[in-house]
Parts: sequence; structure tokens; C-alpha cells
Amino acid sequence: MTRPARQKESQSLRLYARLLELYPPAFLQRHRAEMLQNFADLENAASSKAALWLLIGKDLAMSLIAYFFGSRLGHYVIAVLFAWILLFVIGYFFYGPTPGRPALHVFPGFLLGMLSIYIATRLYGTPQSSAYVIGVLVASILLFTIGYLRYGGTPGHPMLQVFGGLLLGMLSMSIAIRVYGMP
Amino acid sequence: MSKSRPPLPLTAAVFHILLALFGKERHGYDIMQQVKADSGDAVKMGPGTLYGSLDRMIEAGLVAKGNTQDPRRIYYRLTALGQATLRAETERLSRAALVARRQLGKRVTP
Repeated sequence: MTRPARQKESQSLRLYARLLELYPPAFLQRHRAEMLQNFADLENAASSKAALWLLIGKDLAMSLIAYFFGSRLGHYVIAVLFAWILLFVIGYFFYGPTPGRPALHVFPGFLLGMLSIYIATRLYGTPQSSAYVIGVLVASILLFTIGYLRYGGTPGHPMLQVFGGLLLGMLSMSIAIRVYGMP
Repeated sequence: MSKSRPPLPLTAAVFHILLALFGKERHGYDIMQQVKADSGDAVKMGPGTLYGSLDRMIEAGLVAKGNTQDPRRIYYRLTALGQATLRAETERLSRAALVARRQLGKRVTP
């Protein structure tokens, strides 16, 4: 990797180099060296670290979202989100605005599951064998166990629903990545 | 590669990148600084947005790579299509501004 022309790499630059891994490999092949140099220049000129990371954080979020939703995998995620909205609308018409409906608990778990598999695949390549995914699963099981011990084995407990959503989301994203590939 | 003129209006980022490259080859950081200056700090783009836009603009034939000797400092330049698109968008914005001034009842200076 061609590093920027600076005498010493800062911690911020090392962190930015790590965050760049979230971009598609083809894009990085074209622009990694330029982006690192660009970041080093921005860091030199920045009035504060906070101002620098505010700009970089916004830029990372906006450009990664644009890349992701422009890809086939992104279109799949949009379709899945529409399916969830449809589910909420149907649920609303049948049951009314009941707080704590299972779908409301499953949904955040589902999103988290999809996101964790996507990040793991981007950073580590194969989510099936990655320590990251095992870590997420262990953390989820731990969270679920704490909830179970605290509130008891209530059937349909929200914690169980969130956990179920998480597993479903992980599975859904794993299949989608296999079918559509990473952007 | 598409060589037909991209549909107007252009996004603010694309317009300002074209403007920054008019008459001068620039590298990424230089483009960012010029865009910031030209827009009076209104358009601040980071590396991800800049290089994503440049990729799309190269694909559309608006921009081409210039000096690529140093991979950390690749220079970009406007193509003929890029110049024509910049002029067309500037004309469109001028007409829109003229109409807006008329609607707002302000005095229009030629």
C-alpha cells in the first residue's frame, strides 16, 4: 500500500486506513493511496480533530450508503425493508397501534443481524468462519441469558424476539451475499 | 463509456467539481479545497464523496485522468464534454436565477 508522504503516521490515519476497508475492493484499488494522502492533508489543515472526524464521519456514511444502495445487494435490502413496512402496515390494520407487538421487537434484531454480517464480510471476507460473527453471537446469547435470568422464561418475551430477529437477519444477509455478491 | 451529455440539472458536487477543474488540472485535495472556496464553504466534500463522484464523471466522459505518476497525487482534467456540460449547466442556472429575481421583484442587472 502506498502511504502518504508524511514522516510519521498518526493514530487518526491508521484508523482511517482501517475504515477504508468498508469500501468495495475495486474502489480501493483505484483510490486507496489518494484517499490516505487526502486524509493526511485534511488532518494537517484541520483546526481540530473533532472537525476533521465530523467531516470524515459524514463523508464515510454518505458515500458508503450511496455505494451500498446502488448495488444489487442494496436493492435486496431495500426490498426486505419494504416487506417489513408492509408487515407493519398489515399488523397495524389488524391489531391497531399495540405497543410491544412482536414485529417491533424482531425488526431491530433483524437489522442488527444483517448489518453485522455485512460488516463482517466486508472486513474479514468469509463471515462463516470469522471470529467477529462468533463474537456477535456470543454477545447476543449473553444478552439473552441475562434477560432470561432477569425476567424469567416468559414465552414470547421481547428479548427472545429480538434474538430471533438477529439470527434471522444474519441468515438473510448471508444468503443474499452468496446470491448477489458483495458490492 | 457513455459519451452523451449527462442530464441536467447536475448535482451540486458534480457542478462544483467541473468548475474546480475548469482551465486547470488538479489532484483530489486541491479539488476539495477549490470546491470549498468556490461554494463559500457551502459544499464540503470528503474523500469518499469526491472519488465516488470522479469515478462516475470519468465513466460519463466529463473528466479524465491527467498526470498519474504519483499514485497519491493523481491529477484530473476536464474533457470537452465536461466543459460543454459545465457551460450548459451554468446557462441553466443563470436562467433560473433570472426568473427567480423577476419573481422576487428584484432589479435585474444584465
